[in-house]
Amino acid sequence: MFERTRQWIEVRLGIKEIIDSGLREFYLPRGAGFSSTLGAVALVAFLIQAISGIFLLMYYIPDTAHAFMSVRIIMNKVPYGWLFRSIHMMGSNIILAVLFLHLVVTFYRISYKKPRELTWISGAIMFFLIILFCISGSLLSWNQLSYWSTTIVTYIPTLIPGIGGRIAEFIRGGQYVSGSTLNRFFAFHVAFLPFTLVCMAAFHLFFIGRTGFSTNPGSSPEGDSEPQSVYKREINANGMPFYPDYLLKALVLVMVYLASIFFIMTFFPGLFQPELATVQADPAMTPDVIRPPWYFLAPYQIVKLIPNKFLGISAILILVFIFVFWPFIDGVNERNISKRPLLRVIFILSITVWLILTVWGGY
Amino acid sequence: MVDIDRVGGVLMRIKLVLILILVFSSTALADYRETFEKEFVNKPWVGSKVVEEGVCVDCHTSDVMKPDYLGIPQEWKMSIHYENKVSCHDCHGGNPSDSAVSCGTPHSGFVGIPKYKEVPKMCGKCHIGILKQFNDSKHGKALMTSGRGPNCVTCHGSHKIQKANMNIINKVRCTRCHSYKRAKIMKQALFMTEKRISDINHSIRQLRSSGASTEKAKKMLFRTEAGFRTLFHSVDVSLVKGRTAGFSRKLDVIEGMIADIYKEIRFRKNFSAFLFLLFASLAISAYFIQKNNKN
Repeated sequence: MFERTRQWIEVRLGIKEIIDSGLREFYLPRGAGFSSTLGAVALVAFLIQAISGIFLLMYYIPDTAHAFMSVRIIMNKVPYGWLFRSIHMMGSNIILAVLFLHLVVTFYRISYKKPRELTWISGAIMFFLIILFCISGSLLSWNQLSYWSTTIVTYIPTLIPGIGGRIAEFIRGGQYVSGSTLNRFFAFHVAFLPFTLVCMAAFHLFFIGRTGFSTNPGSSPEGDSEPQSVYKREINANGMPFYPDYLLKALVLVMVYLASIFFIMTFFPGLFQPELATVQADPAMTPDVIRPPWYFLAPYQIVKLIPNKFLGISAILILVFIFVFWPFIDGVNERNISKRPLLRVIFILSITVWLILTVWGGY
Repeated sequence: MVDIDRVGGVLMRIKLVLILILVFSSTALADYRETFEKEFVNKPWVGSKVVEEGVCVDCHTSDVMKPDYLGIPQEWKMSIHYENKVSCHDCHGGNPSDSAVSCGTPHSGFVGIPKYKEVPKMCGKCHIGILKQFNDSKHGKALMTSGRGPNCVTCHGSHKIQKANMNIINKVRCTRCHSYKRAKIMKQALFMTEKRISDINHSIRQLRSSGASTEKAKKMLFRTEAGFRTLFHSVDVSLVKGRTAGFSRKLDVIEGMIADIYKEIRFRKNFSAFLFLLFASLAISAYFIQKNNKN
């Protein structure tokens, strides 16, 4: 019976063929390690966010009068609501760390070189989309921390001369963070962003499928350091099959990712939930210390440090531009970072400065 | 033809120089940070409640105000009233949304400094139960008959009013008018209940900061505490002793609620720990499976 059913499905869908051609015969370069699976971990992390988010959506009320209470009800009354909400909240922070690591590895391997420029750009856009997810999602809980963090974050566009005020007003739906902002952020968080992210992820996966995986040129040269004027997919005939080798590697890191979430939930439940996050948003009560979320501390600190608002916001926009279009800015063909001391300095310096600014911004 | 490699190299150097200029050159201007934050915080983000206070605070921090009254807004901002959003007009009356000229006139119901005997009436607008106990107490009767007894401000102060606690009853304060003997007996009678309330308050704060739902316990404690505070003002030891058992029973119920919340938190912690161990084991197993698969 089971065999007949399997065959019935197989004849109609051809799953075996899909697995064989799409997974078993899709080879990764030799030497691809766990660091090559970070993108897959990010994808699974996003799926976990989507599933837990759907559960939260069943009870959440996007209204200033009820938003905070509905989150408290999810946390305290809905059976296992605390579990879904904690996974969603912790996951939203850890996914950024995974993406950051993925970016660092990709940059270190100089994997963004041709023909993978579009893979990098789509990845960079997805990184910003996830940050927007985090920012819009944090306001939804309508607590003092999220309210005032959003106030800061939405203040930054006002630094753009001329149109800055209007941009901020459009984002907030008024002069201040209010019910309109909550509604906008809610729509953005549950409708616009998921759709955009899925589209971008589809592009990203399409590009990876077309060009093949990249690996560390130091350990396994791919030979694509030569100018390439025609399309050539990396076949990697002697490499590692996507299924089961790569997927098993990815599975290890996905389990580590989940274990990390539950580790923080067990031992540091308040890590991303300081006391201010347990108080309902009150526009009339400005907290003593207002800080943006941790992933926004570095740009916030840049704006604070540069003694001219226009220069400050320009610096951020220039950095974003450089980051997204880096494959076109880096015109050197060499893919081995050990042979590029200047790039290594830029790499280490960028990460160090970013970390310093993040820590500094927190004080 | 443009040499892309050369252009790329030049652009990269420009980027490095830009980052260095933007990030490091400006760090010398440390005071800018303060200016930025001041400007940011002073933006009109805040809602209507604090804006209302603008009229009172504006005058009381201006040059035209008598020096004695200049510190009042600062004292108020350190008080329990400020914490609970009790504003100037809640006690003093007047219309804070009116202009600075007419908001403090008697016809708008404004009372600047109440007469000494009138102070309990002013506080009693909100603290109704306490006013009744105070009026029936020896303190209240002395104030009403001779006008020389203590009023609310004598023990609690005026603008920098703190959350009442047992330390208000102390030798220095009480011996300003009479011996400390009776006050000490009173303090001892109140001590155990007061300590329990303080411990429960601490637990509720702790639970609240961990995101637990403490509203019900908090409301019940608020009512119990308010009743107990009312008792303070009777200055009657036998009445305190007689009613302590009743308060004790209510505190038992609240402690039971808190114990249940702690139990729920322990369950969540254990459940998360179980999931952590489960996924950590799965990660280890998957690691060995992929290793064997490679071999």
